[in-house]
Amino acid sequence: MNSLDPRVERLPKVGEEGKINPKAPLDQFGTYEVFVEPKPGKPFQHEGAVHAPNLEMAYVLAKETFTRRFTCSSLYVCDTRDVFVSPMTEGEQSAYDLIDGTSIGEGKSEFEIYHLVKRGKQHIHAGSVNASDAKGAMLQAKATLNNGKLVYNIWTIQKDKIRFTSEEEKEYWITLPEKKFRDASDYKGGDKLKKFLEQKA
Amino acid sequence: MTLALKELLYKMADDQLILGHRNSEWTGMGPLLEEDIAFSSMAQDKIGQSLALYTILQALGEQDPDTVAFTRNANQFHNCQLVELPNQEYDFSLIRHFLFDTAEALRFEMLTNSSYEPLAQLAKKIRGELRYHTLHANTWIKQLGSATPESTERLQKSLDYAMPFALGIFEPSPNEQELITTGIFEGEVALQKKWLAKVESVISQTKLTLPDLKSIKPELGGRKGIHTDHLQPLLDEMSEVFKIDPTAEW
Repeated sequence: MNSLDPRVERLPKVGEEGKINPKAPLDQFGTYEVFVEPKPGKPFQHEGAVHAPNLEMAYVLAKETFTRRFTCSSLYVCDTRDVFVSPMTEGEQSAYDLIDGTSIGEGKSEFEIYHLVKRGKQHIHAGSVNASDAKGAMLQAKATLNNGKLVYNIWTIQKDKIRFTSEEEKEYWITLPEKKFRDASDYKGGDKLKKFLEQKA
Repeated sequence: MTLALKELLYKMADDQLILGHRNSEWTGMGPLLEEDIAFSSMAQDKIGQSLALYTILQALGEQDPDTVAFTRNANQFHNCQLVELPNQEYDFSLIRHFLFDTAEALRFEMLTNSSYEPLAQLAKKIRGELRYHTLHANTWIKQLGSATPESTERLQKSLDYAMPFALGIFEPSPNEQELITTGIFEGEVALQKKWLAKVESVISQTKLTLPDLKSIKPELGGRKGIHTDHLQPLLDEMSEVFKIDPTAEW
């Protein structure tokens, strides 16, 4: 290591004359998208991404990265490359208006559909459709899940690419609501400081 | 009966507290952000589990959990020596996490049928936490146990080093027969048998080799208060803030 500053570490090294090398792969993991069901019956919502060497490790790492506070009843992950994204819209235009073509009927695979109904917020699970590919899934969704509410962006994921939480695994989160010590507001730091200053005065 | 029960509760609680503290030393230094968070969360779970056990002990007439956790000296702790060893590199921490948590999850699984109701209830309550801890441990061991020559070699070295200490988890106690007779706990011999089967099943899915247990002398003594030189400095550090003002409200 030449420096603790990563920018210095990233500088290309001065090479030897006549040496031609293949480009070195980046020394980092790929990303996986994480979806969380905050309470039973609530739709799954996209929470963010984790780095991991594979889908199972992504599931293991996602659990504490995204569900260590508040409540959670289930979680799932998929490779970022398995998420297909519609064009983004703004104003009064629905993303479904930018999905053209005629539906070629239901395909063999099940796809999950997610809607972004407020810009800057998370994509929320809207339902499932059967289709043969991502575009077909969005066309199916246009016909069955487009309820007139403005949707700025649509995601779709083929269901068999997802690492779901099994029924037995749902017990992971049983004690989570008790872990209030992870919630900064639970310390009531302001109240304690106020009390301390009042005693001092 | 109470003596044997207290002995069981103390060794379990002390194991959880000391390993929880050791694992928390990785906070901010884990090998990647997501793992740092996961390992730290599980360390908190362990300390929470120790609190639950010390609270049961308090109901049996022992002192309050803070006093018990922060004011005893090393020779009054009943944890196995495995949990007090310094973290060293991450390969050792992972191997210890795997070997210990496999035993801990099985111990609590056995205790879900305990005739001592407070323990049975606690065991049922934290089953999900332990399930995640073992998923985390098993997934990492399977991943790194076959990944690269470096990862397998480092894990193997740590496994060989940790194994005599891991066998110390199951150190026999002279009072244990009472627990077995009264249906409180099936005992360390039964636990070790289940543990070995589980450990073997995970290791067999990797390029790692389980050392021959017959050739290993277990590192015993922890349950009787005999510890390595590493425990007292850990206790000094853990209780440093508490000792500034034991009456402070947090």
